[in-house]
Amino acid sequence: MSGNMAEKAAQNFVEAYEAARTALPGADGWLARRRAAAIESFAGAGLPHRRLEEWKYTDLRQTLDKAGFASAPEHMGAVVLPEAAAASAFSTLDRYVLVFVNGRFRADLSKAARLPKGVELHGLADVLTEQWAKDLIERRFDEARQAEEIVDLNTALMNDGMCLRIRKGVKLDKPVHLLFLAADGGASHTRNLILLEEEAEGTVLESHIGEAASFADIVTDVALGDGAKLDHVKLQDESADAVHLATLRGEIGAGARLSSFTLTLGCGVSRGQSFIRFAGEGAEAHVNGAYALRAKQHADQFCVVDHAVPRCASNTVFKGVLDGQSEGVFQGKVIVRPDAQKTDGRQMTQALLLSRDAAMNAKPELEIYADDVQCAHGSTVGELSKDALFYLRSRGIPEAEARRLLVLAFLDDVITLAPHEEVRDILRGLVSGWFEEAST
Amino acid sequence: MAAVRETVETVGEVEKYKYGFFTDIESEKAPLGLTEDTVRFISAKKNEPAWLLEWRLAAFRRWLTMTEPTWAKVSYPPIDFQDAYYYSAPKQQAKLDSLDQVDPKLLETYEKLGIPLTEQKMLAGVAVDAVFDSVSVVTTFKEKLAEAGVIFCPMSEAVAKHPELVKKYLGSVVPTSDNFYATLNSAVFSEGSFVYIPEGVRCPMELSTYFRINEKQTGQFERTLIIAEKGSYVSYLEGCTAPQRDENQLHAAVVELVALDDAEIKYSTVQNWFPGDEEGKGGVYNFVTKRGDCRGANSKISWTQVETGSAITWKYPSCILRGDNSRGEFYSIAISNGRQQVDSGTKMIHLGRNTTSRIISKGISAGKSSNTYRGLVSVHRKAENVRNFTQCDSLLIGSKCSAHTVPYVETKNPSAVLEHEATTSKISDDQLFYCMQRGIGEEEAVALIVNGFCRDVLQQLPMEFAVEAQKLVGISLEGSVG
Amino acid sequence: MLEIRNLHVTVDGKEILKGIDLDVAAGEVHAIMGPNGSGKSTLSYVLAGREGYEVTEGSIRFNGKDLSEMGVDERAAAGIFLAFQYPLEIPGVTTMTFLKTALNAQRKARGEEELDAVRFLKLVREKAKPLNVNDDMLKRALNVGYSGGEKKRAEVLQMSLLEPALAVLDETDSGLDIDALKTVADGVNALRSPERSMIVITHYQRLLDYIVPDVVHVLSGGRIVKTGGKELALELEKSGYAGYGADAA
Ligand SMILES: Nc1ncnc2c1ncn2[C@@H]1O[C@H](COP(=O)(O)OP(=O)(O)OP(=O)(O)O)[C@@H](O)[C@H]1O
Ligand SMILES: [Mg+2]
Repeated sequence: MSGNMAEKAAQNFVEAYEAARTALPGADGWLARRRAAAIESFAGAGLPHRRLEEWKYTDLRQTLDKAGFASAPEHMGAVVLPEAAAASAFSTLDRYVLVFVNGRFRADLSKAARLPKGVELHGLADVLTEQWAKDLIERRFDEARQAEEIVDLNTALMNDGMCLRIRKGVKLDKPVHLLFLAADGGASHTRNLILLEEEAEGTVLESHIGEAASFADIVTDVALGDGAKLDHVKLQDESADAVHLATLRGEIGAGARLSSFTLTLGCGVSRGQSFIRFAGEGAEAHVNGAYALRAKQHADQFCVVDHAVPRCASNTVFKGVLDGQSEGVFQGKVIVRPDAQKTDGRQMTQALLLSRDAAMNAKPELEIYADDVQCAHGSTVGELSKDALFYLRSRGIPEAEARRLLVLAFLDDVITLAPHEEVRDILRGLVSGWFEEAST
Repeated sequence: MAAVRETVETVGEVEKYKYGFFTDIESEKAPLGLTEDTVRFISAKKNEPAWLLEWRLAAFRRWLTMTEPTWAKVSYPPIDFQDAYYYSAPKQQAKLDSLDQVDPKLLETYEKLGIPLTEQKMLAGVAVDAVFDSVSVVTTFKEKLAEAGVIFCPMSEAVAKHPELVKKYLGSVVPTSDNFYATLNSAVFSEGSFVYIPEGVRCPMELSTYFRINEKQTGQFERTLIIAEKGSYVSYLEGCTAPQRDENQLHAAVVELVALDDAEIKYSTVQNWFPGDEEGKGGVYNFVTKRGDCRGANSKISWTQVETGSAITWKYPSCILRGDNSRGEFYSIAISNGRQQVDSGTKMIHLGRNTTSRIISKGISAGKSSNTYRGLVSVHRKAENVRNFTQCDSLLIGSKCSAHTVPYVETKNPSAVLEHEATTSKISDDQLFYCMQRGIGEEEAVALIVNGFCRDVLQQLPMEFAVEAQKLVGISLEGSVG
Repeated sequence: MLEIRNLHVTVDGKEILKGIDLDVAAGEVHAIMGPNGSGKSTLSYVLAGREGYEVTEGSIRFNGKDLSEMGVDERAAAGIFLAFQYPLEIPGVTTMTFLKTALNAQRKARGEEELDAVRFLKLVREKAKPLNVNDDMLKRALNVGYSGGEKKRAEVLQMSLLEPALAVLDETDSGLDIDALKTVADGVNALRSPERSMIVITHYQRLLDYIVPDVVHVLSGGRIVKTGGKELALELEKSGYAGYGADAA
């Protein structure tokens, strides 16, 4: 095998692949060949590092080399949910629940019976013989070449995941909630597949929790048929020793709508990447998120929206609060292809620095090849407005309370962009809880 | 009315570039190619002291180990650095005591370019240093400047007459190892202007350098150094043109500015190098490193550029805001038409406390051109109360061009307030209709609207050049509507 | 001066004007009234030659010349002026610069000498004064941040500066306070002359008290459904458009 074997982590993954190869799902079919090719090209490229423009602010290679994750063990038996509020978030909602422990589906802990007709929900191993799953897994995003090595790694090692298919015109009656619990340390590789056929609608909620030193590598492949609507909300609150790497690849059909929201509270190092491509006219994508970091946390939000066809609208807003020695990153790119006239592409990133040692890096990019378009991006970085603080205090509000109000208002601005009122309330509660922890 | 939707395939005839003529004048060149001997040749031609030759040679050796940067959004065939002349000088008497001794052909050339150098016609209030290929042919108003203590002379003269200043500041802002082109420049730079403004002096007139590449296959590598001592002020303007040629010409200049306490430097550029023909043949490769160092407290450096020429522009005039309360500004208009490629922007490096910066960039792409703004705003840990405002707007004319915005914002200090805004738009059909309803022709209407779009930047130019720049905006867009 | 015959106009594939006949002789002032969406602005845009307004049938002749072959700016130079219902904002271009460019472009097109800065300034100030347009407004970018009424006054200023042969005023009275209405009307009246024609589009009789029309037309559903003298406007004010083919929408 060729490639740069000097890197420890990459080598570990290659070895993990060799060891698990025959036991991985789909070992006897097309996927085995695909996995072999993927690990080969991953080994050639290695893990991304700072010298790659797309990874300028997050050195995944170094992070994983240092952490040296082994594969996460399979976890049987009972599990205990962590105390953190995030662990029980969404539990008040009427929903289907799929629980994954150490990256593996646990039917015994899940509750997803009596699905409406036209809704199929499976584990990864069960759909590998189906064409739609193959199509999604094999799909390549040209413009997202920067994510290929990550997707290759995942393709080679993925051993479970949620696969949701909603048939034409069917509306999922309640959200599907994926609860990922890292009970033990180690690396897990998850692949989720979501296919919404024409005019289908559904909501997927994800929460990622755990107190272990885990590495979650998740790729979520989404395809929306014409007129379909997907709401996707993700909550990430893993431990300070954990590394979280999530890649969303979404292809959006004509008149379809993707609304995705990520709340990042946990993890030592996390990177959320979204690659959105419009495949049909009149579609919409909203990729938004909030993050609140402290201590030495590092969170990187990376979002590419590819307007490959005319008349689509995209909006990306990420807002974050940085305390301690934390570091926030936003890298975004809106591409408007030569014929994508009447595109409306917007991007906004805002960060509040609450401490002397926090840092923020932003790079919102526009790449435009069509003239009749409206594109704009903005970025602001700053601390809490002294004037606003003064004003609140002059009205008798104590400083700590005034700060809390202002920070929450700052984040609320983007939380309002998340889908569903009940979900927004849950997110607000979590953020407010984060702040209380911060001030104690 | 055919609105701006359609871009004519052939973007303006080449004749539009009115500076495309060539002056037939005998010249003396270094042998073709680039070796240590070339460097020695140039240094010897300039009668340089040993330290400077060593400085050049060190840069040259360093350059041999470097590779060309590839991160910019421009593409061009590999440059054969051995197939160019690195020194060319019009043959004339070695030393000039007065203008009467300048070859009349040269004076004529500058006249044609709109830069009269003869005493009676000189622009009042503007001192000009005219650089022809590798040497400075004449500097006007020297005596008047000398009275104020201002030194304004060709770099080679500064090396001879003010070696201590040159030695102290040369390479202090852009180190010889900075980047591929700056290092190349350090090895082979042939001319450029040197400006020194003594403490407390407000330079009594605008200073201006006019660069002209004339010879074929000749690269131009000028090196400009401006030092503003405590409490001084200077406004400097450079203009550039080149003959129209089929082959590409390389222009790799380095400009270093140093502003000490309370000093201010205003540096304006009107760059109109030959952009190549409509097929993208010929034109100047403009690979330039410009950097200002606000070394003193309360100092200020302001870059204003109007970039309409060159086949390829790779240029990021930057400010290092080292002194407390110092301020950096960057105002830019970059127009690309035909097959021009522009990758330009700025870096504002905030090191000192209370430093502020402002970036206004207006990119206009037409024809089949590509226009990229690339900028960095960086705030270091110890830089308290930094303020930056960035606005970059792009205007697209026609559906075959492209516009890109690549801003980097990096901060390690919470007291910074950084704001960045960018928009992309086209000239609206409604605006065009409105202007034309009032009887204004389509091209003029486009020029009018584009000038309006650029107004914030045009306002920053010294009066004498603002009008010229406005016309240039119109000319560069000719043929972009049809 | 203006002869419109059986004019049919389509916008985005939809027929808006469905056979208009209109004659405006030199020196006449015609008022056009009619319900919202009846096609009044469309008519004014067609006269000015706006892109996207396709004449599918009929003709427009202006001083004997067929307009269809003429570009927007050519029509303007020939003397057609349109005061827009919604004047455009042009950021960065000062009103002063804009006026000068327009005036000189028209003068040039007509083979007249262009005005230098000094003479131009004098002329603008002279024209601006009665319209209460001050220097400060002239120095600002064209229509940017102007109030509704200021925009309308600026339109009239352009008209009085350019001295067109045919002026089309599209709801120039809307958004004006009572004093401004008077100012604008005075400005318009000052331009009335035996050589100059005007088409005044309005919803309100009030304007016609100041600018007394020779003829009043009612445009409804893309057709002129009634023509009369100035008393017609009074009638409309009382009874509305109900009687005039409410097929307008
Ligand atoms: N691009 C377009 N596509 C389709 N219909 C259009 C278009 N532009 C205008 N119209 C329609 O043409 C009709 C006439 O519009 P117009 O602006 O001429 O009306 P108007 O008489 O001036 O109305 P108002 O009194 O409200 O100013 C309206 O129904 C309008 O919606
Ligand atoms: Mg109207």
